[in-house]
Amino acid sequence: MSTDQLTRTASRGTGPRASVDRVRGYLGRVDRRFLPVLGTVLTLLLMLGVGQSRYSTDRASFLSMKLLSNLLVDNSYLLVLAVGMTFVILQGGIDLSVGAVVALVGLATAKLFTAGLPLPVVLAVGVLIGTSCGLLIGVMVQVFDIQPFIASLAVMFLARGLANVVSTNSLAIDDPGFSALAAWSLKFGEGRGLWRINASMLIAFAVLLVAVYLLHYTRFGRTVYGLGAGDRGAAVTLMGLQPARTRVWVYVISGTCAGIAGILFALYTKSGFNLTGIGMELDAIAAVVIGGTLLSGGVGFVLGTGAGVLVYGLIQVLIAREGLDSWWTRVFIGAVLLAFVMLQRVVSVRRR
Amino acid sequence: MSDRNAQADDAAVRMTGITITFPGVKALDGVDLVLRRGEVHALMGENGAGKSTLIKALTGVYRVDSGGIAVDGRELRFDDPSQAQAAGISTVYQEVNLCTNLTVAENVMLGHEVRRGPFVDWRATRQEARRYLQRLNLDIDPRSPLASHSIAVQQLCAIARALVVDAKVLVLDEPTSSLDKAEVAELFRVVRTLRDAGVAILFVSHFLEQVYALSDRMTVLRNGRFVGEFRTAELSRRDLISHMVGRSGEALAGIEEQARTAVTTHSSRETPLLTAVGLGKDGSVEAFDLDLYPGEIVGFAGLLGSGRTEAARLLTGADRPDHGGLRLQGSPVRLPTPLAALRRGIALSTEDRKKEGVIGDLTVRENIALALQASRGTWRRIPRRELDEIVQRYMVALNINPPNPNALIRNLSGGNQQKVLLARWLATAPRLLVLDEPTRGIDIGAKTEIQRLVTELAADGLSVVFISSELEEVLRLSQRVVVMRDRQKIAEVTNGDDVTTETVLETIASSGVHAS
Repeated sequence: MSTDQLTRTASRGTGPRASVDRVRGYLGRVDRRFLPVLGTVLTLLLMLGVGQSRYSTDRASFLSMKLLSNLLVDNSYLLVLAVGMTFVILQGGIDLSVGAVVALVGLATAKLFTAGLPLPVVLAVGVLIGTSCGLLIGVMVQVFDIQPFIASLAVMFLARGLANVVSTNSLAIDDPGFSALAAWSLKFGEGRGLWRINASMLIAFAVLLVAVYLLHYTRFGRTVYGLGAGDRGAAVTLMGLQPARTRVWVYVISGTCAGIAGILFALYTKSGFNLTGIGMELDAIAAVVIGGTLLSGGVGFVLGTGAGVLVYGLIQVLIAREGLDSWWTRVFIGAVLLAFVMLQRVVSVRRR
Repeated sequence: MSDRNAQADDAAVRMTGITITFPGVKALDGVDLVLRRGEVHALMGENGAGKSTLIKALTGVYRVDSGGIAVDGRELRFDDPSQAQAAGISTVYQEVNLCTNLTVAENVMLGHEVRRGPFVDWRATRQEARRYLQRLNLDIDPRSPLASHSIAVQQLCAIARALVVDAKVLVLDEPTSSLDKAEVAELFRVVRTLRDAGVAILFVSHFLEQVYALSDRMTVLRNGRFVGEFRTAELSRRDLISHMVGRSGEALAGIEEQARTAVTTHSSRETPLLTAVGLGKDGSVEAFDLDLYPGEIVGFAGLLGSGRTEAARLLTGADRPDHGGLRLQGSPVRLPTPLAALRRGIALSTEDRKKEGVIGDLTVRENIALALQASRGTWRRIPRRELDEIVQRYMVALNINPPNPNALIRNLSGGNQQKVLLARWLATAPRLLVLDEPTRGIDIGAKTEIQRLVTELAADGLSVVFISSELEEVLRLSQRVVVMRDRQKIAEVTNGDDVTTETVLETIASSGVHAS
């Protein structure tokens, strides 16, 4: 048997089965790794369609730059968190600490402003707190071979505990520079069609671009995917790559993203509070999974995560427009998540 | 040939006095290995002789406890595989070690991507990958996911990957075990080209013919010790085998003879134990009929992917059929799961030892107990004393090495893992045992032992289905041979003097004449 025979897998049916085979052949040509992301995009389009048909009025279309702008303003911190989480999940791990880190960074920022430190220093320290939390998890996972779930759980308690130590009250941030940064935006359009781009959006977008570069255009990125192949990194090790370094970096990136997200959330609320971000890590994980990344690692795209965050935000918008109680958001997110996990299941079963 | 004769300074790699100890096992004990430029060097030895360990010492996977590795005369210490690769040592491992979730191009080029500025240039990287694949005459889309290809193609991708680094030393650990004849020839062509270009090549294979066809020199290991280095041309096969097993070649021939004579003595033809009537599964294997009798060995012959494994899975409840059904001693029976089959005395030893066989992190004892415990039910725990007795019995009967029931099975050699699997199924006292490739990747000693055991079991009334890529082996053991091709049963022949590997191959080759 020659290799071309080995690689030839398409089956040619005749009669009534031919059309079935043709459909199957067509589906087969779509790279299976794209299927979950395809699902995300379809879901997004479906929701936009529903929104457009139900909530558009003569004066304003549901689909508008304003919608997109609002979605991004409300969810930029989540986008940054989810992007960091994408690295971790692709690599085959999990990071439960990010929600608590957001609270810690917010409170630390508020506290540092009261201490009178200048804006750049406060922002840098805020991000570095996240980076250190990530580094701690990375070292625990890599050097001490601790399950990522447990390692990040420990850091989650640590960060949440420290946040409580800093303050159990909500600390308002009234630093003029910070307030100016929060208020700054580029405005487009006018009247009801007014939409804007603010600092949070730009930062989140920059993070997304860097993530796309790192994951898809560097050797580091390929190593992240390789580590998620499901053999505990054996193949990557034997290929002579740098699994240890990569694994630590992944958590450092996730922690740094959590630090940035903490600052974005502080910009959004102009305060720090020790109870923010409870369950936010799970929102980030949900957005990643809805975005088509396999929870078991190795398959997914960071742009899919972007779409996942939009789906997540859109569910909230639709619930609000429908006038339903906001708790329905959770129910719908749960349902969408379930649907996506099942889709992934189908994909991975077919892969065998 | 003489221009490739070894000079002392020809050594690309010189390993001296390599000793590696695992908890409780001395895997290597003062082993020497010299690889010379422009030479193919074969590393020979039984399973557990230390070949894989020595390779992993050379490639930086294991750290050596004592002894030295010199590359180009420079003493080096490898702490991880990247250092060995940096020193110019490139390796294709026995089990395909690539990332199945990435594309072919990514796998071939990972770590050597073509970059433009800070970006990986994927188009150029794919072209590079295609170039290396074409050196192996492999024409596949570099963008396709690795998982969409057969194991054989994946193996070739691993070899293409090894070519990407301009290696001074190329290590091939069982590269041919999943390749067919044409692919092996292709591989050999590439290996010879590399050899002539001055690369030192270390070649490990269980196929003696391939070793003799390719290698210039060989080093023989036995039980982790160095036996000797020989010129291939000056070492007869019989001498090589006796060096490997430490027994004389005549004794070995005796075992094979014993197995062969046993073939003709048993063939009772009363009620069949298991009958397949029009059994088939869409997209897996076409409907086939088959009778399996107690005390009989039925061989499945056919190429890789001919439907042998799929048929075996249908017979044992591992897959559910779309058509037809099974009869157990005449009465219809449904086997929805392997457990249902097991409870009726039907056991399947799967083809993929690593993935569907052993559970690496469990001990030998636990691995043996698994199927027995499953067949009894979760809540009926096997008493420790009974279990110990069973484990002890099989460890002795199958000559499992090391004879320690508490050893983790992943630390055992392939052949011994296979014996443990055999013990697992035998412990359930099956009436039908389906063995899918029980001797793949196993050395001659263990192979003969397993073959002998199978004949003995059949003599005791066990019905056996024996599947193997090695036609000689199938013909040596089986009373009847089922020939498969293109996911169809194309013939069933009663074994006899007139049935030879040639006639079976002819049957496979002839186009559809025997198809029913």
